[in-house]
Amino acid sequence: MSIQTNLPEAIRSKLSGEPIFSTKTDLQLDGHFGELWVTVTEREVSTWRADGSSCLNIAAGEWKEARAAGGVGGGTLVADTLNGPVVIARYTAALSSVFGYAAKLLTAMSKNEERPALSEKEVPRYCPTCGNPLMEGTQVCAICKSKGKVMARMLRYAKPYKSRMILAAVLLLCTTVVELVPPFLTKVMIDDVLQPKTAGSALLWVVLGLGATMLLMAAMQTVRGLIGVWVGSKLMGDLRDDIYKSLMRLSLAFFDRRQTSQFIGRVNSDSEAMRQFMTDGIIWVAGESLRIVAIFAIMFGLDWKLTLFALLPMPVMVLTSLKIWPKIGRRWYQQWRSIFRLNVLVGDSLQGIRVVKAFGQEKTEISRYSDANRELVRHNIRIEGLWQLMFPLFAFIAGIGTLLIWYNGGSQVIGNQLQLGTLMALIAYLTMLFGPLQWVSQMINWASHAISAADRVFEIMDTPSDVPEAIDPAPIGVIQGHVVFDNVTYGYEKHHPVLKGINLQVQAGEMIGLVGHSGAGKSTFINLICRFYDTDEGRITIDGTDLRGISQTDLRKQIGVVLQETFLFDGTIAENIAYSKPDATPEEIMRAAKIANAHDFIVQLPDGYDTRVGERGHRLSGGEKQRVAIARAIIHDPRILILDEATASVDTETERQIQEAISRLVKGRTTFAIAHRLSTLRNADRLVVLDKGKIVEVGTHEELLDLEGGYYRKLVDAQTELSKIRGVEG
Amino acid sequence: MNDPYDIRIIEPDSLFFSRGPGGVFQGVIDGKTFEELVVFRTFPFLYPNRFISIRNPKNEEIGIIRDISQLDTESASEIERELQFRYFLPRVTRVDSVKQKNDLWLWELQTTLGPTRLAMRNLHEHMQFPGGGRIILTDMNGRRCEIPDWKALDNHSRMQLTDVI
Repeated sequence: MSIQTNLPEAIRSKLSGEPIFSTKTDLQLDGHFGELWVTVTEREVSTWRADGSSCLNIAAGEWKEARAAGGVGGGTLVADTLNGPVVIARYTAALSSVFGYAAKLLTAMSKNEERPALSEKEVPRYCPTCGNPLMEGTQVCAICKSKGKVMARMLRYAKPYKSRMILAAVLLLCTTVVELVPPFLTKVMIDDVLQPKTAGSALLWVVLGLGATMLLMAAMQTVRGLIGVWVGSKLMGDLRDDIYKSLMRLSLAFFDRRQTSQFIGRVNSDSEAMRQFMTDGIIWVAGESLRIVAIFAIMFGLDWKLTLFALLPMPVMVLTSLKIWPKIGRRWYQQWRSIFRLNVLVGDSLQGIRVVKAFGQEKTEISRYSDANRELVRHNIRIEGLWQLMFPLFAFIAGIGTLLIWYNGGSQVIGNQLQLGTLMALIAYLTMLFGPLQWVSQMINWASHAISAADRVFEIMDTPSDVPEAIDPAPIGVIQGHVVFDNVTYGYEKHHPVLKGINLQVQAGEMIGLVGHSGAGKSTFINLICRFYDTDEGRITIDGTDLRGISQTDLRKQIGVVLQETFLFDGTIAENIAYSKPDATPEEIMRAAKIANAHDFIVQLPDGYDTRVGERGHRLSGGEKQRVAIARAIIHDPRILILDEATASVDTETERQIQEAISRLVKGRTTFAIAHRLSTLRNADRLVVLDKGKIVEVGTHEELLDLEGGYYRKLVDAQTELSKIRGVEG
Repeated sequence: MNDPYDIRIIEPDSLFFSRGPGGVFQGVIDGKTFEELVVFRTFPFLYPNRFISIRNPKNEEIGIIRDISQLDTESASEIERELQFRYFLPRVTRVDSVKQKNDLWLWELQTTLGPTRLAMRNLHEHMQFPGGGRIILTDMNGRRCEIPDWKALDNHSRMQLTDVI
């Protein structure tokens, strides 16, 4: 085990035997930061200081049990000894999982049970070179990654458009060269035509030459611009697709922890920032640096001494850029964060607009928005202000070079050492040179904006899915629906298991009712069958194949879900019913709706099956939505069906209709149903009663009712009691 | 019999907290001895030292303490220590540096519990602003630090913070 090899020799030499397990903690026993070591051997568990002196020692057999008592941001490993509980070690949250394992190991040792194996997930991983934490599922430390990686990765998106980009670059090269012609022609005009006052065709030719270069430049710029727009839009489309694809790939657990409205803005604005940099930005950089080189070459050719004066302010500009660069990046991110907060706020209050209206809290919402808005305004001023400061500053510094040339060149012209035309050409080139130099600051802006956007985008793309797709999925074809839970343990946060050691065999076609108090683990149970989450321990098999070995598309094809909160997509009722089978015929759709008891009410709608539902459309009642959702499950024709409180919050008549629909739906399918109203589960073949994450009773309704003092009986009694009260009230 | 649906407030003179030989927080409440007690802040941000829920290891609430400052000295110091253990939230006394290296933000901090270093993937998900000048920092591994009031930090620290808050 890799973590044991790190055990300092000073401690290892004092151990009473081979260590079974050892780990480093990051807190001392008094709660201060510091390193201690915990070792477990067959004979004892000990805590050591790094120099090898012992802090604590408990001999095997003295502890009955060990617990990882989780706090907030940290935790404590406690052993229950014969003399009361003893603190073995304290740690920060970074180490919770490894100490969770330590607790299990110590408990297993004292009870002589099979010792748990340490899974890779439980060991916190650190980068071997810099010691910073590693992301789950990655091997390379983000810090030790090569510097230009974000940039290189961003540029990879430009690859499919290589040929057009090269064409654009060539055009750019030509424009740059052509742009340099006019000042030279001016020089020729002044020195060879105007000053000698030679009449004749020379003037006309030079002017024609100027005209031709202008026309050529205009043409090339147009073509280049068109290519830029084309490549840019394509690039942005690719980026958006990729971001969205990564979002869809992520597991439910990712979204559980985040506010979803934030992603709407991300997909669009971040890809736009990246696009801007890649098309405009890169063409700019390439073009302008090319121009700088060319201008300097010509200027040196014209008069190298004077050109050196022009170079004097350059180091100042470069230094200022380097100094300001990181600042701009941070300010962009700051500004982005305030936009982000604003978006989250709007998303929040609009999604909850009913609550806002119901409690008359519009004013509070408005003032919350104004606060966040003020913050954004402040950051806007900061970033734009910095930018406004930089532009004139750069112009001024650059201007100093021009002044130097004017003075020195001017005195040379007066002294007849230099031709006036050459001086004019030098000044003209210098002005052209300072153009790109000033744009350096704009470039800094674009680049840092794009890189911070790319950072966020790649963060989403790099987040590994908690439920990875099987590498070599087993072909399952049409399944029977034989589901087995084999010692399944799962917690949304590891070491806070919601389901513990679940064992259950379900025959194909059986209907299982899941019963228990809220928080007993019913919904988690169902989420695991859908593989929204992966089990922490144990496995779930369908027809003998582990869920993790089945491709998710195949799995979802076999599972139909009617959830507590029915969600209809924006679209027609027909589209919603045919969601999982877009090629369903109208007849199939109607048949499904008929079975779901939905056909009649749909036909009576003015737009029938073409009624728009979802966000902008017709409002269906809760019961109607339910039945559309059932129809959606029917057309899906799954072998395994999951019903989560399908009849919650509807009136009795609707409930009867839904019940009817469901009883037709479950025929011949393996079904897992959750319902608060126990009466709705009477048809179930078996009821599984869950309490605090464990299965406490399994049996038919009648069998469980006969159990004196059983959980189910208590639940039924409590509900009868409740309905009596309701009866009185009603 | 107490009303099970009412919050039970434990009066300061009916309790006594101490630390057991194994380093575990324990105490006597209303004459009953508890070998192990667990403390929960009910308003960790608003009232960190008030309204503390006292529970047994099975997570059943024994009662609520209104204000730690009303307790006797030993009980108060023990419960404060226990809160510090359970709510591991070192207070930042100085921000040595905030750097962005490739795609990680690295914070070098001096805290009341010694120097530490936090690594974050981004700032928008790892910095919380509960109000006032308070900032809660959470790193990639769930470790947290608190800046009680960033405006009260020294010049150097404030400089480090200007572009991240």
